[in-house]
Amino acid sequence: MEGTITIVQEGRFQLSDRAGVSHQFVLGHDALAETEQLRPLQSRQAQVRVKYTDASGLISLIAHRIDLLEPNLLESPRR
Amino acid sequence: MDDKVDTAPRDGYYGAPNQPLPRSDSVHDAGDAAEPVATSRDRDMPVRPGWKGPTYYGRSQLKAAPFDPWIVGGYIFLAGMSGSSAVLSNLAELMRGKRAEAVGRRSRYLSMAALTLGSVLLIIDLDTPQRFYNMFRIAKRTSPMSIGTWILTSLMPFAGVGVLAQLGADLFKIEGLNKLARIGFAPAALSGAGLSTYTASLLSATSTPYWAAQPKELAMRFAASSVASGAAALTLGAKSDANRRTLETISAAALVVELAATAMSHKTVKAKGVGESLKSDWAKTEEVAALGFGVLLPLGIYAATRLRGRTPTAANDLAALATLVGSAMLRVSTLGIGDDSASRPEVSLRFSQPENLPRSRRR
Amino acid sequence: MNVHPRARDYPKSSLGEMIPNESELTAGVKIEPGKQYGFFTDTTVCIGCKACEVACKEWNNLPADNVGLTGHSYDNTGALSANTWRHVNFIEQSSIQALGGQDLGGQDLGGKSVRDNDQAPFQSGWLMMSDVCKHCHHAPCMEACPTGALFKTEFDTVVVQQDICNGCGYCVPACPFGVVDVSKADGKAHKCTLCYDRLKGGLEPACAKSCPTDSIQFGELSDLQARAKRRVDELHARGVHTAYTYGTPDSPGATGDMKYLNAFFLLTDRPEAYNLPAAPTRPSNRVAPALVAGLATLGGLALAAVALLAGSSEGARHGR
Repeated sequence: MEGTITIVQEGRFQLSDRAGVSHQFVLGHDALAETEQLRPLQSRQAQVRVKYTDASGLISLIAHRIDLLEPNLLESPRR
Repeated sequence: MDDKVDTAPRDGYYGAPNQPLPRSDSVHDAGDAAEPVATSRDRDMPVRPGWKGPTYYGRSQLKAAPFDPWIVGGYIFLAGMSGSSAVLSNLAELMRGKRAEAVGRRSRYLSMAALTLGSVLLIIDLDTPQRFYNMFRIAKRTSPMSIGTWILTSLMPFAGVGVLAQLGADLFKIEGLNKLARIGFAPAALSGAGLSTYTASLLSATSTPYWAAQPKELAMRFAASSVASGAAALTLGAKSDANRRTLETISAAALVVELAATAMSHKTVKAKGVGESLKSDWAKTEEVAALGFGVLLPLGIYAATRLRGRTPTAANDLAALATLVGSAMLRVSTLGIGDDSASRPEVSLRFSQPENLPRSRRR
Repeated sequence: MNVHPRARDYPKSSLGEMIPNESELTAGVKIEPGKQYGFFTDTTVCIGCKACEVACKEWNNLPADNVGLTGHSYDNTGALSANTWRHVNFIEQSSIQALGGQDLGGQDLGGKSVRDNDQAPFQSGWLMMSDVCKHCHHAPCMEACPTGALFKTEFDTVVVQQDICNGCGYCVPACPFGVVDVSKADGKAHKCTLCYDRLKGGLEPACAKSCPTDSIQFGELSDLQARAKRRVDELHARGVHTAYTYGTPDSPGATGDMKYLNAFFLLTDRPEAYNLPAAPTRPSNRVAPALVAGLATLGGLALAAVALLAGSSEGARHGR
């Protein structure tokens, strides 16, 4: 899924996809990304691609891999 | 399951005005204590075992440990067995010198195999195994898991030196390496002693009723079982009859101590009101596998073969293997019984009552 | 009604900026690091609206779990878990006269009614409590954590650091209240953080802010305990003799060396009715007795082994 990270709390984040629908994600234990790396992505409203699976028993998705879609990583944070 | 909740507040149950704190004897008013308490209020109440007070729709009050009983039970068994075998082999080499050389060699190989496998089991059981190294961030004396991490770590270098030197001595026949192996491995006895016993404190330092009710008795059972399994493991493949007989006697002595500790354990568990957990399926497994197969069978075989005065036979090997299986099953079923006791509110609520508070900390 | 003078400066909601020290306006307390903060949950004014559950889920972006109906009165959440950090209990009790002198469990009540006091009729016999992490003073979860992920913050609350926790799960059985849990989805332990991020920003926790009846009160611990005592005295004077505090020093819930709970409650029935333990104990007090007993057993058996190994006559008799 591709979209923008809009809310981050600890290891959980909300992704608004291209259609504008928001999904709740939990960062899986096998993801290379660390929880503290999510916050800067949210403050930059970064565009990302998330590889995920469904979480059983929860209304949530487990993110296994997050790829940045932005070409310029030195871009200053937008408010 | 009965959805009705028996919540009848009684006037004065929590004291008259200006006495808002419940007195510990008023807890027995609902007739839910295992033993009668003679207060004026419950003179007419029948004595009923177990918990007859309210539960919250029968839901668990505690959470059971998320450890897999087989994985963590397996680790505890391996740690205890290898730890005790390290202690025993060092003692043997101390007392019998060259005559116990084979025992020492077996113990060194045994320790490494058990430790590497045990560590792998532990890491597998983590829910985020990629971060297993975080266990080394701190050393906390209130956390037996932290204590155990460092005991296990402290064993590694000595076991490593011992095994590598032993391998060198065996493969390349360098006599000096034998001595290095023996000396390098000696401190492992201290770590081994820790490994054999800390796991009981790991379980008791939780709120799970079955484990929390018997910190001392559980420790005695685990320590005795560790020694029995360590000695039994060392008898397998023993060529020297003298050493073998001594190790078997040690194993038998440990099994007898384990039997006594089990009796004490059952008594304490019932006294603390957790007796219901002794009726669970895991408890039955423990009786059959750990007690019957793991303690009584080997004791019987040892007694029978000693009485006949014969040299060790296949029956002795069976006894040793049964001890090992029983020791492993003791740990696995202890975990299972504990998890069961935590998930049953009638057990956990009955356990966390004022009468079970340590004497000095009533209030 | 006490309205903080500064409230006049903010007549309209403004989503673009934060009110500095907002908790002064909403909770009457200025949040400063180094002081002890917690919750006083007065269950006698809880109306069971579950705004606290919703606010907690919303603020902390927690996934919905416990989907479906339980059939247990209005409690479809069930229990605290890795993704549920506020849980409202519902226990239905009714007037005794209507049932002929017995309560739902068939117990005889000696003519007393659950409403045998001068509380107004809308104070029914139902018990409703918003359960939460107790943020214990001697937190067993924190004492059990081998990685140091669980720690005491500058606000005297207990928080799990998500970037350190490796999901060993030892905190789970350690908790005497069954609060913390490991999430199968992300493999780490989770529990109420007392809105640590909100506290750092001068906001009171989400649940306390959203509670419409101020059943959940946030503030400095000493202040809350004084308030609780006043409320208990008031209830006793009004005939609710079963009211007491759970988790204040020397009361149920703060037994067994737990000392006190930063998040404590005012209850009107025995703790077990609310799924709380009457006398929890501090698990770390059991570490030393177990270690000593185990080492003593090992030592005794080692001595026996030495004695047996010293028997060299056997060696001479059986050869090698």
